[in-house]
Amino acid sequence: MTSSTAERYPLVRYFFHLHRIKGWPYVVSWAHRISGVLLAGYLLFHVTTLASLRNPAAFENKMQTFAALFPIYVEWLLAVPVIFHALNGGRLLLYEVFGNRRDRLVLNWVMVLSGCYLLLLGIFMALGNQQVSPVFFWSYLALSSVLFTYMTITRLRISGASKGWKLQRISAAFLLLMIPAHMLFMHLDPALGRDAQVIIARMNNGFIKLVDLLLLIGVMFHAAYGVRGIFLDYLASPRARTVCTGVIVLVSLYFTWQGVQMIVSI
Amino acid sequence: MKTSYDLTLNIRRYDPYQNRTWVQTYQLEAGRIMRFVDLFRKINDEQDATLAWGSSCEHGQCGSCSVRINGKPMLACELLVENAVNEFGSTTFFIEPLPVASVVRDLVIDTDQAYARIDQVKPYIISPRQPAADGEAHQISPEELDRYVDATRCINCFCCSAACIASHDTFLGPNAMLAAIVRVMDPREDEKQQRLETIYSENGVYRCHSSQACSFVCPKEIDVAHFMALAKQGAITSS
Ligand code: HEM
Ligand code: SF4
Ligand code: SF4
Ligand code: FES
Repeated sequence: MTSSTAERYPLVRYFFHLHRIKGWPYVVSWAHRISGVLLAGYLLFHVTTLASLRNPAAFENKMQTFAALFPIYVEWLLAVPVIFHALNGGRLLLYEVFGNRRDRLVLNWVMVLSGCYLLLLGIFMALGNQQVSPVFFWSYLALSSVLFTYMTITRLRISGASKGWKLQRISAAFLLLMIPAHMLFMHLDPALGRDAQVIIARMNNGFIKLVDLLLLIGVMFHAAYGVRGIFLDYLASPRARTVCTGVIVLVSLYFTWQGVQMIVSI
Repeated sequence: MKTSYDLTLNIRRYDPYQNRTWVQTYQLEAGRIMRFVDLFRKINDEQDATLAWGSSCEHGQCGSCSVRINGKPMLACELLVENAVNEFGSTTFFIEPLPVASVVRDLVIDTDQAYARIDQVKPYIISPRQPAADGEAHQISPEELDRYVDATRCINCFCCSAACIASHDTFLGPNAMLAAIVRVMDPREDEKQQRLETIYSENGVYRCHSSQACSFVCPKEIDVAHFMALAKQGAITSS
């Protein structure tokens, strides 16, 4: 899309204007924020749905309703904020934690790799017949994620920032590969994500349970700290800040508990 | 080459006595290398003596002439008509005061209020370190100076603050952060702890999301976001 055709659309025109007056990374910061909030909302919905796995018939009923309500491309569209937020989060880690200053280059890669991922995911979703061993897939990814998380922890040792802030970056490092992989894995074969018996059988493995628990706790903390950060950007009064933090902690603890119960009891 | 332009300036005005805000349009012909402060002065001389705006040095050194032009915070004393037309691709400009403090009148904001955030970070050396030898001047190695000398160019024009993604009610602002960070990096300063507490406070560096708008708009071309990121990384204390 050339900039002149793009500028016919008011929203696109607004983004181009923002880019002109404050630069691309500023526009990307807004996109990161919006995608983060969308994902946080989706996460709560996702945990609630999965919590019903304890009653397989109810779960399959729900999945059928969703399948009837939302065409498959809606699921694919959900991958847009996921992969963008993940890769751009990786870019922010490189900038803030690893001292990278070739940020424009990394930003270009964020866009290119996001496109590649979406294409790949689309192909897998269309084929819907891929086979992979869950333990092999997750061992490989967990290992890479643990390695990057470890590198991030090492880098953050000298930072004077608060534990909460550091933990958000550390959780981000862990999620960077795990979340896009989670999404990819679930769409290798439709049965992997829809059929309650297939999910239950897969989760009957200590290692998979451990990965799921880490993923759940990591993403809950990350999302809660992120949403709190957005509120703190606008709430000046200490009282309002405390109330806001309290509500976010309670909500995320409740959903984490729902998720943990489901993972442990299956 | 065009030597003059027919400009339309839509200026946001505020009258404190009637508590009234409105946008007033001025049409004027201006030479290509006139600056925006010259345009304001021309309006005062030829059309409307009541339009209030601020400036002092008119050489990009004091930071008192900052305004938002088509949304971008800029120094009115540095912006030439020709450059503005090229940058925005238009001869119509919407001019507003910076959103970092309350407006006193038209384009003039309450600088005391804006500066209160700079004062909080104590933009001076709190506790000077003794030079190595008595009676000697304090020496800073070129390598040490290189790490932060760019940040010393800041003129507190608040353009960065005006562009920042975080709100002005909660964030001390990029320039106040810069003032704190530069003195943590400055070997002449002994009092680091107090500064680090301000930097790593809830109104400090956590309000920055590396949007880099500060670096993008800074008229002194300081990579403000680089210093914010150094603080997050913890690379400001190890000198
Ligand atoms: C997949 C890997 C992910 C990475 C690498 C990542 C990285 C990051 C980073 C570095 C930030 C800090 C940005 C800032 O303070 O400005 C952030 C913010 C945020 N993240 Fe993530 N994130 C990931 C996944 C997620 C997920 C799955 C969710 C939601 C469930 C989420 C929700 C948020 C929210 C709400 C924010 C706050 C945005 C803001 O402050 O503007 N993130 N993320
Ligand atoms: S950092 Fe740049 S934009 Fe910000 S106040 Fe200083 S000179 Fe102005
Ligand atoms: S990089 Fe940080 S301080 Fe600079 S404009 Fe963006 S959010 Fe504000
Ligand atoms: S008048 Fe001093 S910087 Fe513009």
